[in-house]
Amino acid sequence: MSPGPATALLAGLAAVALLADRPAAVGAVAAVLLAVVLRAPRRRALVYLSGTAFSALSVLVISPLAQTRGSHLIWSGPIVPVLGSLDVTREELGLAALYALRFTALGLAGAVYALALDHDRLVQSAGWARRSVLAVALATRLLPTLERDAAGYVEALRGRGLEVRGLRGRARLVSPLMAGSLERGLNLAEAMEARGFGRPGRTRLPAPGWSRLDRAALVLAPLLAVSGVAWL
Amino acid sequence: MALARADHVTFSYPGQALPALADASLTLEPGEIVAVFGPSGSGKSTLLRIFAGLVPHFHGGGFAGRVEVGGLDTRLVRPADLAGTVAMVFQDPEDQVIMDGVENEVAFGLENLGTPPAQIRARVASALGDVGAGLLGARSVTHLSSGQLQRVCLAAAHALEPRLLLLDEPTSQLDPGAADRLIELAARLARDRGLAVLISEQRPARPLEVADRVLFLEGGRIVLDAWRDDALRWLARNRPAYVEEAPGPLAASTSGAPLCRLENVSFRYGGDPLVLDGASLELGRGEIVALTGPNGSGKTTLAKIAAGLLEAQSGRVARQGRAAYLSQDPGRYLVRERADAEVALGVRGDVGRARRALARVGLAGFEARHPRDLSSGERERLALAAVIVTEPDVLILDEPTRGMDPDRKRELARLLREDAGGRTTLVVTHDLPFAASISDRRVSLGATRELALA
Repeated sequence: MSPGPATALLAGLAAVALLADRPAAVGAVAAVLLAVVLRAPRRRALVYLSGTAFSALSVLVISPLAQTRGSHLIWSGPIVPVLGSLDVTREELGLAALYALRFTALGLAGAVYALALDHDRLVQSAGWARRSVLAVALATRLLPTLERDAAGYVEALRGRGLEVRGLRGRARLVSPLMAGSLERGLNLAEAMEARGFGRPGRTRLPAPGWSRLDRAALVLAPLLAVSGVAWL
Repeated sequence: MALARADHVTFSYPGQALPALADASLTLEPGEIVAVFGPSGSGKSTLLRIFAGLVPHFHGGGFAGRVEVGGLDTRLVRPADLAGTVAMVFQDPEDQVIMDGVENEVAFGLENLGTPPAQIRARVASALGDVGAGLLGARSVTHLSSGQLQRVCLAAAHALEPRLLLLDEPTSQLDPGAADRLIELAARLARDRGLAVLISEQRPARPLEVADRVLFLEGGRIVLDAWRDDALRWLARNRPAYVEEAPGPLAASTSGAPLCRLENVSFRYGGDPLVLDGASLELGRGEIVALTGPNGSGKTTLAKIAAGLLEAQSGRVARQGRAAYLSQDPGRYLVRERADAEVALGVRGDVGRARRALARVGLAGFEARHPRDLSSGERERLALAAVIVTEPDVLILDEPTRGMDPDRKRELARLLREDAGGRTTLVVTHDLPFAASISDRRVSLGATRELALA
């Protein structure tokens, strides 16, 4: 499938995940997206799956504590200034599960975008807002680049006899990783400028036309969003 | 008429007191190849950037003087508008790749210049073919070796059919054969198509063979601008390390008891083909061994196994004492915010030892500098200090001379030799003259996996 229609389809699925109220519908979207993510190379997919799982779990844990609704008390916690009572009710837990499922679906949609789409073709097919599409495509590469950089730092430190252990040890790498990203971003911007980026009259490498599947995806994407609001 | 001209250019980067270029004047004629040499931090990269318009447009800072390229004053046009007339290949190939696919990467500049779509694919194929990367067109850049990536970057510049090609240490990650081919290609482009080539290099032998003119920079000043033969005489008189054959080992050692032994080790990354298939290597106390071989032959993998950073999937590895490994990417030694603190990391914060190590690699006075403010050659030396400060029994250096000028390489050879007695040293390198100057023994990885050459 061409990346343009595939992006539209992903946006449609993400809309369903955000707008649908039925957990089964959101779960189905998440399952479909998970199946696509699992087709990607395991090592790359693992980064996105871990991130998605962590985010969803955080929502599942924090959300019930931050809400005050429902009458079927499951756990009664202390009273915390500003937040109030940290009670957890069955209704809050149900809603937290739905939110977590939504987060999962959105995270997986992002993973499919990063792992399965041809970003070069997406940039080339962008008739307008090409700069923005290119910026998003480059930002998408940030995660695997950060992962590679982090592995490089850890290896170089091990080569000096230093082991990076635990969350605290890895947290110390955040600052150099961010600084390295900024430096790389500047280098990349310089290389782009040197190769004429931003000049008027840009042309495009000829791309293959859209298939029937691409056209079907373009029709399906808005239908999915509407169905999310109307029926799911 | 000159293709490009710099008149009395003085430039300082923002926040820097000393100018990176001072009163630099230079003309470039069509078809001429000009080699640029000088110590790291002498202004070579900045000189190249003024002709691309990136200095001052992209970097800011204080600029005086005038630069013209193809009749255009670089102060009045954007670097993007100079693209096509000028093309530049930067030092680090990984920091200049924009697209995912090789073909798209080479096409990126052509698209920006408004090349008719029907011509783009043919020009991309032609450029890739010219640099010996014709088979890489369908690959993803993420799956290429550094050497392959460097060729793709050259193809991306070459595809623009520029009148002035700026090459900033374009062979730093290539094996000698590939580096020779790249320099030869640049020479052929200058001869056949009449484009001017300005090439900055730290391995001077091959550029000196093809260059028409030679520049030598020091402290931002052009201290030499001469035709090749005159330049060779000047270099022999003033900077002999740039023209002399590498000296033999300073004092050959005898090999003592083995400190590291690899027997029939094999390794593959994920589901890829075997990188190492039954390789063996023994490193004795007191000896310095150079490990050479073409790009992708498994040198770094073998070195990492010897250092204990990778586990061999088959075979035996025995090591005595502590091992330390210098990564070929000096960007991995930028964890702390001061140079001395960075080096002290490996010795539990002992700043005194760190400062002595910095002084030994020629970075005395750099203690308080932020590692990211250092030039690439200085970063390389910082990384070296960060590793040698740990005084390991097994010292493994992966491409330690990348970005290092010939004088510094001699100092490094001396430094390694001074400390060689109590440990074993493995130097992975593409720099054959350096390998010859430093090693007691050279081991080459290639089709036969291991071949003792000397």
